[in-house]
Amino acid sequence: MSSEVKQFKIRWGMVIDIDKCTGCGACMVACQAENNVAPAVDGSNKLRSLNWLTVFRLSNHKPFPDHEVAYLPRPCMQCGKPSCVSVCPVIATDKREEGGIVSQIPPRCIGCRYCMASCPYHARYFNWYDPKWPGDLAQALTPDVSTRMRGVVEKCSFCHHRFMKAQEAAVARGEDPMNLPDGAYITACTEACPNGAITFGDLNNPAHKVHELIKSPYAFRLLERLGTEPQVYYLSRREWVRREGDNYLEHEKTGEATKQG
Amino acid sequence: MDRRGFLKFAAGGTVGLVASPIIWNTLYDAVYWTQNWGWIPRLKKGESQYVPTVSKLCPSGTGFLVRTVSGVPVRTIGDKNNPVTHGAMTALAAAEAELRVSPARLKTPLRRSPDGAYIAISWAEAEKLLKEKTQQAGASVAAVSGDPTSSINEVLSSILNQQGSSDFYFMPDEEQPAAVAWEAMGGQGRLGYDMEGSDCILAVGAPVLESWGVVAANRSLFNRTHPVGGEAGQKLIYAGAVQNNTAAGADLWLPMKSGTDMALLLGMAHLVIKAGKNGFAAGLGNFASFAAAYTPEKVSAITGVPQERLEAAAKALVEAKKPLVIAGSALGSGGSAGSVMAAIALNMLLGSVNREGGLLDLPYPVSVVAHATDYRDTMRKRFVDYTQNVAAGKTKAPALFFVYAANPVYSLPADSGVKETIKKSGYSVAVASFMSETCEECDLVLPAALGMEAFDDVQTPYGSGRVTYALARPVAKPFADARSAGELFIALAQELKLELGVKDMPELLYKHAYALGAPFRAMMDEGAVHTARVTLPASPLFYNWEAIRAAASARGEEGDLQVAPVVVLAMGTPQTAIPPFATKVVTDYQLKGRYSVAQMNGATAAKLKVNAGDLVKLVAGNNVQITVVAAIFEGILPDTVSLVAGLGHTAFDEFSKGKGSNVLALTSVRREPGTGLPVWGLAGVKAARA
Repeated sequence: MSSEVKQFKIRWGMVIDIDKCTGCGACMVACQAENNVAPAVDGSNKLRSLNWLTVFRLSNHKPFPDHEVAYLPRPCMQCGKPSCVSVCPVIATDKREEGGIVSQIPPRCIGCRYCMASCPYHARYFNWYDPKWPGDLAQALTPDVSTRMRGVVEKCSFCHHRFMKAQEAAVARGEDPMNLPDGAYITACTEACPNGAITFGDLNNPAHKVHELIKSPYAFRLLERLGTEPQVYYLSRREWVRREGDNYLEHEKTGEATKQG
Repeated sequence: MDRRGFLKFAAGGTVGLVASPIIWNTLYDAVYWTQNWGWIPRLKKGESQYVPTVSKLCPSGTGFLVRTVSGVPVRTIGDKNNPVTHGAMTALAAAEAELRVSPARLKTPLRRSPDGAYIAISWAEAEKLLKEKTQQAGASVAAVSGDPTSSINEVLSSILNQQGSSDFYFMPDEEQPAAVAWEAMGGQGRLGYDMEGSDCILAVGAPVLESWGVVAANRSLFNRTHPVGGEAGQKLIYAGAVQNNTAAGADLWLPMKSGTDMALLLGMAHLVIKAGKNGFAAGLGNFASFAAAYTPEKVSAITGVPQERLEAAAKALVEAKKPLVIAGSALGSGGSAGSVMAAIALNMLLGSVNREGGLLDLPYPVSVVAHATDYRDTMRKRFVDYTQNVAAGKTKAPALFFVYAANPVYSLPADSGVKETIKKSGYSVAVASFMSETCEECDLVLPAALGMEAFDDVQTPYGSGRVTYALARPVAKPFADARSAGELFIALAQELKLELGVKDMPELLYKHAYALGAPFRAMMDEGAVHTARVTLPASPLFYNWEAIRAAASARGEEGDLQVAPVVVLAMGTPQTAIPPFATKVVTDYQLKGRYSVAQMNGATAAKLKVNAGDLVKLVAGNNVQITVVAAIFEGILPDTVSLVAGLGHTAFDEFSKGKGSNVLALTSVRREPGTGLPVWGLAGVKAARA
């Protein structure tokens, strides 16, 4: 892993309020449709199905009736120190563009899957089979994201094509493409969430809502102590939910490792 | 060449080769061409447009922008300007552009041949056949519609009425028991719920964040009242057997055994009366003394809800400024009227009727088509009574039977008599968009255009607190040979020389908009949506305690275990089945390979001596047996198993077919004491390791 957190003027990030998520799955559907992820006949087989965004069900592990449930949507964390980038032998994945999104270039990928092994969030997926859109389904492909082929790894890109479009639109309006207003660029999942659980924006920009939200005492990141510096934050008022975010020992408290980089 | 010359040549050649782009280009090409296969679809570029319209597949009429590329829909995106759903989506509506081209989509009219196989026929032939069969049938024609919000129903019911038949029905849904209940309690109009104005909602059995009422609007309200990382402005209490999606968003979950809604509501009534909330109306004294028997101890024993949670819920209702109580069923159909009556009584006690944030009396949708049956009259009729009577030979089978936008063969209990009605009818016609189980039973299958392909409308769906009216506009041309169902029925009426008073769908929609005072031009051109707060004279409500007492006498289900169904919109509706793009939303605690997953808590699993992953046989009272995979989940009552609805399809496409079991197969039709309403919300089963 590279030792330095890469610094960018713009750092796109997400704040997901777990207390607002009810696990309906609209974000997952929107993500697949937007990014041309092929449908799976048996999507309940989680070992074989390919999702850029997956909603997990969390449990407080207490028996009935004290049991509580929560849902955690997991996109790519777009880590500040991405463990996938340093292991890629062909630079098919990198983090060097302004915005801090970890790129993935499928035609460059040789399918070694080192990145999948190194990603602590299981955010990367391998195309074990040719993607298939049976019948006329391919008619509904969006023109924005190329379809991928068998034998390569893919992952969430924070809908990078939308970033490019928002920049182009800003240039057309005569505005600074490096200073987009809050909401000018959001991901498909953010847009689709009916409960408004996902907030998207530039973590570095004080004019963006996420800039403040990540300072909340209820904010946390997944496996924070690994030092990957994810750009995806979660919010929950429930202590047990925050504890699910990392492997805490009994005496350890949550929130101590939070950095608002 | 000498040795030195050879070495110079070799060294020069090597340096030259390395410096030239040959190696790198060859490597690049090898990488590129070995991974860029021709059978991976190429993207079609073109001009993008975003057109606002509403979903006709999602029961809540979600407002969305359809993104088209060169005229072909590729995405549906929540429409923030829609005043009903405010940009909120459902997993079903989000998958609609892909559903439009899904393998299950009907492409052409199909006629059943004598050997049972379907033959593709032309529309001209189909229309000729339809005209002949309707003429021959005369008054012996019946129809059922699964889309109560559409004006197309008026055209169909008008055809039936003019033929001399009154057998036009809606599929059983959430509203029918509610309409019975509201009328029994003295309601004059249509029961409405002002959820937006309330500060504390108790939803008993009604999964308000997943499948009850105008779900997209409910979720948008949840979004607005629960700011990110902030304090919630509205309290939500949910009572249900399973910690489902609604329970996940609720502030308090009341784990209530399936089918004990009445006891819970009466227990709450007892507690709020004790706390001094006793809104006066005729019958209060009798109702209060009836409810007095439902002490927290007794209610806790019947429902399984811990006593302190009952008291916490009652306290929240009493302390709220504008509390609202909603009753509904987990399945969305076959629910009881009694629990809605008890919920209305509880609202009356709390003063939550005919005021902001309470129950409202809304006007019923009006008919504009000549000779059409009014919405309210259709809502009063009971489809299952009709089909059971036909199946039993008590009523003559129709010569012609229409099924429009519905899949009753899949979505009603096996003893509902639907299959027999279709078999016994002289000729059966399904007008549908997808090849459903019902289509497979019918003689003629006609491919209907989707909401985004034709003119249609969404009139105030049940669960709303306002009168709303939205138009579905043709954003794209119909897929393959599909055709607008509205235009099809209008053309049939014209062929039969029947009087409708409208010549096409735009005129029908215009007349509706005019009747409501809605801005038709803006709706047509810009996708505007009409909403209106309508205040009717307050209904003279009374505590119909005798009807409540009768309904409360319903016996519980037998069996070792209660089945608690969970409806999720990601599984689609009975009309759509599982959308291809939603199969990954289906979790491994809902479906495992070919089997439905039965979730149960650790205590139940120990009692049944099963471990997670074991195959279990569930045998229902009607002797239907299904095999499921056991999974342990603590968010569920003891002696209860939870099964997700929407599985077990035998038709549609590879994304839905042969996956799991249909939970409705375990249910049987019963009659609710007092109202006589057909109900099937609950099922008791016996379980054994397979």
